Amino acid sequence: MLGSSDPFPMPRLMARWVHAPRLLPLLVAGLLSACGGSADTSVSTPQEAPLSAAAALGEKIFRDASLSASGQQSCATCHNPATGHAPANALSVQLGGPAMDQQGVRQAPSIRYMSFNTAFFFDGEGTPTGGFFWDGRAASLAEQAAEPFLNPREMANTDKAAVVAKLAQASYAAEFKQAYGDAVFNDVDGAYLRMTLALQQYEREDSEFRGFSSKYDSFLLGKALLTEQEMRGLALFNSPTKGNCAGCHPSSRGADGALPLFTDFTYDNLGVPRNPDIALNADPGYVDLGLCARPDLASHTDLCGAFKVPSLRNVALRGAFFHNGRFKTLKEALTFYVQRDTNPEKWYPLNPDNTANKFDDLPAQYHGNVNTTEVPYNRGLGDTPALSDSEIDDVIVFFHTLSDGYTP
Amino acid sequence: MRMLLAPLAAAASLASTSAFAVDYLSAEQARRLIFPDADSFEPHDIALDASQMQALAANGVPARSARWPVQVAKRGGSTLGYVVVDEVIGKFELITYAVGLNADGTVRQVEVLSYRESHGHEIRLPAWRRQFIGKTGASPLRVGEDIANISGATLSCTHVTDGVRRIVAVLGLARRTGALS
Amino acid sequence: MKRNTLSLAASLAVSLLLPALGAHAQSAATDADLAQKVDKLSAELAALKAQVQASPAAAPAEPATVLTSYGEINYNRPSKKPENAQADVRRFVLGFQHRFDDKTKVVTELEVEHGVSSADDAGEVEVEQAFIEHQLMPGTALRAGLFLMPVGLLNENHEPTAFYGVERNFVETAIIPSTWREGGLQYVGSFDNGLTVQAGLSTTFDLSKWDATSTEGAESPLAAVHQEMSLAKARDVAVFGAANWRGIPGLLLGGSLFTSNATQGQAGFPSARITLWDLHARWTPQRWDLSALYTQGHISNTAELNAPLVGSATLIPERFEGWYVQTAYTAWTSGDQALSPFARYERYNTASRYADLGAGLTPDALPTERVFTVGANYKLNANVVVKLDLQRFKENKDNNRFDLGLGWSF
Repeated sequence: MLGSSDPFPMPRLMARWVHAPRLLPLLVAGLLSACGGSADTSVSTPQEAPLSAAAALGEKIFRDASLSASGQQSCATCHNPATGHAPANALSVQLGGPAMDQQGVRQAPSIRYMSFNTAFFFDGEGTPTGGFFWDGRAASLAEQAAEPFLNPREMANTDKAAVVAKLAQASYAAEFKQAYGDAVFNDVDGAYLRMTLALQQYEREDSEFRGFSSKYDSFLLGKALLTEQEMRGLALFNSPTKGNCAGCHPSSRGADGALPLFTDFTYDNLGVPRNPDIALNADPGYVDLGLCARPDLASHTDLCGAFKVPSLRNVALRGAFFHNGRFKTLKEALTFYVQRDTNPEKWYPLNPDNTANKFDDLPAQYHGNVNTTEVPYNRGLGDTPALSDSEIDDVIVFFHTLSDGYTP
Repeated sequence: MRMLLAPLAAAASLASTSAFAVDYLSAEQARRLIFPDADSFEPHDIALDASQMQALAANGVPARSARWPVQVAKRGGSTLGYVVVDEVIGKFELITYAVGLNADGTVRQVEVLSYRESHGHEIRLPAWRRQFIGKTGASPLRVGEDIANISGATLSCTHVTDGVRRIVAVLGLARRTGALS
Repeated sequence: MKRNTLSLAASLAVSLLLPALGAHAQSAATDADLAQKVDKLSAELAALKAQVQASPAAAPAEPATVLTSYGEINYNRPSKKPENAQADVRRFVLGFQHRFDDKTKVVTELEVEHGVSSADDAGEVEVEQAFIEHQLMPGTALRAGLFLMPVGLLNENHEPTAFYGVERNFVETAIIPSTWREGGLQYVGSFDNGLTVQAGLSTTFDLSKWDATSTEGAESPLAAVHQEMSLAKARDVAVFGAANWRGIPGLLLGGSLFTSNATQGQAGFPSARITLWDLHARWTPQRWDLSALYTQGHISNTAELNAPLVGSATLIPERFEGWYVQTAYTAWTSGDQALSPFARYERYNTASRYADLGAGLTPDALPTERVFTVGANYKLNANVVVKLDLQRFKENKDNNRFDLGLGWSF
């Protein structure tokens, strides 16, 4: 009942509770009331209500590769439902363009649990929060959906008219007209807008985008036990003196009982090493400055190098991590976190004098923006890393409990 | 006279019940409790003049008002003692109480006629009121000295104790100046 | 009232006299009648006057609506960290009691904490009390609404004039979360043996809002989960009772018990029970004021509650407790003024035991803090107090401080 890994139930920990049949009806009742309640974050059940007309269209549009210049790329190509709506391969950045040979600028993120995100804003303490894309430039799911169609490195349509023309030829064009009126394809901007709104509705309504069906969700709702190693990993994840991951990737339920999203939708600057796999990086003058590369934030030089904190849900299904896909395994990524400053020579190119060229993906004047104060980045050269090798393994085992689709 | 007085007395007693609250004892019941041997109570008002008021204030016990209605308990023509009914505010509510004094001016008994505060009902208990028996004008009559406090009802205890001290002082002065004979 | 009765008597007299006067043309025998009648009337008037004046002179008018207030303005200066010195309008409280009739009144209190309350400021505005009290019979009353819990020595008597020291003691803020109020129904009965019994049903805490990433729970576990009847989850109902005996004047012995489930039926939270009890005593012989209190709190099922929070900064404790002893002496009085030096020793632990979560995952119990406070209360009168004290902390020595406070209450 407790998953494929061999469970070691904690002493006095829930064993009686989980097996007590009289509590199950209460739990089910609790689940149902949670489903009907204000929080959207209930544990998933099979799609109860059918998708609205707009969302049903959105689903078709999402999977329609004919809407790309190459004819081979749909939203689902990079945001693959089987791997957490993120790429199924281990490429640092995805390939697109008319011939599917153009590298993207940044890694394609998972788009699950994005319906809980908001437009970009600075909170009461001036912390940048919210927004869609790695730099938060889109204010809504619809705005985000509008860009890939026209990005020459992605679906590479020349303009909106080209997209709308393809839409008019799609297999569901009649349904589109039924929903939005027979003359909808005559108005390019209007049709394009409705297309992005349909995609947004799909992402909001379809429970696949907010499944909350991981082992960890079951554990939080008292329906499953974590193994000893998973519990150790969770403890290291939460501990403010060890991993301190929960500082940006919250793991606890909200005040209203909402299940955690493992992101607070803020931004951080980790000083991730420059990725030679990205062709653009061959030009030493090229640099991806993140937040401050946005025209409206150009004056916020303290934000140069900062990128969105992604959700860690389904992180174990991904093949490349961080905005530039620099690391391909969780082990690498976590070891980077805790050894970035204790052993920088492992991560950055060496200078002629054999010191590490730290934060080589950021111009020197922005090195001060890199987070060096919060645990675990607050170590120095030669210090002991915040997590040992086996502790990192424990955390990785815990990460595997965050994948949706857990069945006991 | 008695017949005509009845409706007037009714009007007067209406005035008296609304002038002080009665939850536990009426003034009449209090009088009889304090002096069960008395066969009559004569009303006798003390009217203090300005110099007397000043004298009392100088001794640290301001009289609060010039007029003090007293009921003199008599048995067979001789004075057993005096009863004064008074009201003080506890913390927020009125406390109506009666002080009985012996003919020599010492405190005989204290009764609580009504108590409306949410806390401090213990001042009604015999144990607390017994502390006043035998007190004279020379006694401190202060909470925290010779009168124990009731935890949580400090203001009620203090104000009632102040009232008893005041009545003892006023009657003491009245006895000395012959105003009571 | 006296005036009305007098005028009634006057009008009676006039109405009796007028017809008498109207008959002036009558015989000499009628004149004698008249004289007799006038005599009678003046005698009756005199008697009436006497009756009316039998009511106390200058009795204070019974107020139907009473405005109440108390306030605390405090200054704290940590001796080791003077840069943390702070001055604060700690509390500004306005309230009223309105008496509807002999038996029923409403009691309310509104509090502003820390001077300014807004989205950007530290202050808070809150309703501290709002209940109806109805007297069933003398000495027995029912309260319904938001009321103070009858726990400890401080919670119901928390005005600055009622306690020694500038700040409220830690045992009754960190363990007993003063000022603790809940909503519900409370019975209050005072008996002739000096016993006052209070008992009832009320709202309770919400354990599902425990924030393991903040230090609030380590400062006061119950204050971290209190609801203050503000959109409070109310699935769970608490039962509470308190008994206080004051049979001997100057002595108070009492205790209380509070218990309820507190996870409010929230999905995924196992049922967990919070229990808090206390024993207290106070003795005030002559000028002394001695008090002592012990309190203990328990939360059940914390192993299950803490499992998802493992590793976080602040987990839910299984047990927390504290006690203190305090001595005060009124060294000097003059009229209404009084100077009362005091000393207090308190020990408390907001997490003296954690349930076992497994090796390496169970947090250590917190250290027991010990605080020694010495100072004096100076009462300008019964309602205004100036306070001064020094506090020494055994564990968090950085908190050692000098405090100064001004308070009023009426």
